[in-house]
Amino acid sequence: MSGSYETLEVTREGHVGWLVFDRPEAGNAMDATMLAELERAWCELADDPEVRVIVNTGNGDAFQTGLDVVQLARDPEALREQSRRTKRAELRITAWHNKVWKPVIAAVNGACAGGGLHFVADADIVIASTEATFLDPHVSVGQVSAFETIALVRMSPMEPIVRMALTGRHERMTAERARQLGILSEVVEPERLRDAARELAEKVARNSPAAMAATKRALWGALETGLTEACRNGARELVSMWGHPDQVEGPRAFVERREPVWQPLDPAGARG
Amino acid sequence: MSYETLKVERHGPVGWLIFNRPEQLNAMNARMREELADAWVELDRDPAVRVIVHTGEGRAFQTGVDVEEIATDGIGMERYRRSLEEWDLHFTSWHQGVWKPVVTAVNGICAGGAFHWVADADVVIAASDAEFFDPHVSVGQVVAIEAIGLMRKMPVEAVMRMALVGRHERMSAQRAYELGMISEVVDPPERLREAAQELAEKIARNSPAAMAATKRALWGALETGLTEACRNGARELVSMWGHPDQVEGPAAFAERREPRWALDAPDGASSGGGGR
Repeated sequence: MSGSYETLEVTREGHVGWLVFDRPEAGNAMDATMLAELERAWCELADDPEVRVIVNTGNGDAFQTGLDVVQLARDPEALREQSRRTKRAELRITAWHNKVWKPVIAAVNGACAGGGLHFVADADIVIASTEATFLDPHVSVGQVSAFETIALVRMSPMEPIVRMALTGRHERMTAERARQLGILSEVVEPERLRDAARELAEKVARNSPAAMAATKRALWGALETGLTEACRNGARELVSMWGHPDQVEGPRAFVERREPVWQPLDPAGARG
Repeated sequence: MSYETLKVERHGPVGWLIFNRPEQLNAMNARMREELADAWVELDRDPAVRVIVHTGEGRAFQTGVDVEEIATDGIGMERYRRSLEEWDLHFTSWHQGVWKPVVTAVNGICAGGAFHWVADADVVIAASDAEFFDPHVSVGQVVAIEAIGLMRKMPVEAVMRMALVGRHERMSAQRAYELGMISEVVDPPERLREAAQELAEKIARNSPAAMAATKRALWGALETGLTEACRNGARELVSMWGHPDQVEGPAAFAERREPRWALDAPDGASSGGGGR
């Protein structure tokens, strides 16, 4: 079922699925092909019961530099379908867009610009290499910054995000500053990035897949409403796990000092 | 009132609510859950108490629900189903609609359900050796209410990471400080209660009525969009106009003396309801 991709590398290592941007010669910019392949790749990894955690990173110097402006300039027709989706806020390029309820770790390996910020905003956990930089050049080319920065202002102190949106391509945020602000949680040497992502993913993979999916639904859902309503909805997710076999297995494994044997995530609970 | 699982004390204008099951790392059993509801109300209604400090005895601040009771009492989590399904909780100051300032002083391990009292406090400080982690998903439980509260108050990624890494990683007090989850790291850790008392006494110097209205405005703002929050905030603001504290405050300032605040808040210190 492992589909073939032109612009991505999709691989598995144990319980960890890797979704790697693979247009290094173009700064991993998203052309029409990548935009379409991203939806397919997220769904493939979400639907694979062997995969418990997904790591998203990029090949080459850049992490992700947003929409491919070269294609936009030369062949706007190719991007028409995506423009339509953008207009309707129906993008399907990130895990959040595709309602993937498995944990997603973004490992930012280099420049993360403009539309690349989607993949930071929509990940659960973000780590970065010391060489990663963050910028939002939209307004420097006459475009509006909206989706990515709207999500980021819910997640981080707001001033640095608005500054990034308004300084455009004339300023970059370092990985260390992003860590200080809590946009990401760990900065490592470039050559250590994939190992660090793998180690983190393997820790996450030791937890109950069903409990993590319900946790993600509760926490991402909480960004949609006021606090009390979010708590009410969260309480429903909480109670939904009561009686699940993982809730017996978890404490038992702890007492017996062994790794728990979790139930595989019901495919219906992994996505959608 | 006397308590089995808590200590409730007064020191000057400061009321202290202290988890007192150190042997169980202050885990919350059914008894503690009931006593917390009473203790918040007792301190909130006591006119001599202006600020409440909340901490724990022993090496842990709090470690969530008492899993031993859950495993052995034959009822388990089902005991709490109704309160969750009907959203009818009473164990934090926010649940109880306490409009006096609440300072949480995290004295050690803060795990899982303990985040309820970090999320629902107004001000949080911690001992330098405090450690934060959320083991729920490592034992097959969902993280929801505590993290939902925290996410509104601090960078979200850090909350998600704690929720998904579970018991396999801990956050230091220093990192919690950097992220703005807490505002002060007390070192050496033995100084924590002293630091909490000092901070609470500073807060206690301010107008009780103005602080209650301020709390209502700011906590209320977590419920709505920005413009609606400002509209509601404006009502809280205007509600204090004409209150004696608004004459006394500037007068005391001009006369270089401590203000003598009116003890009756305009709408009552405890209008009840919290976010509910």
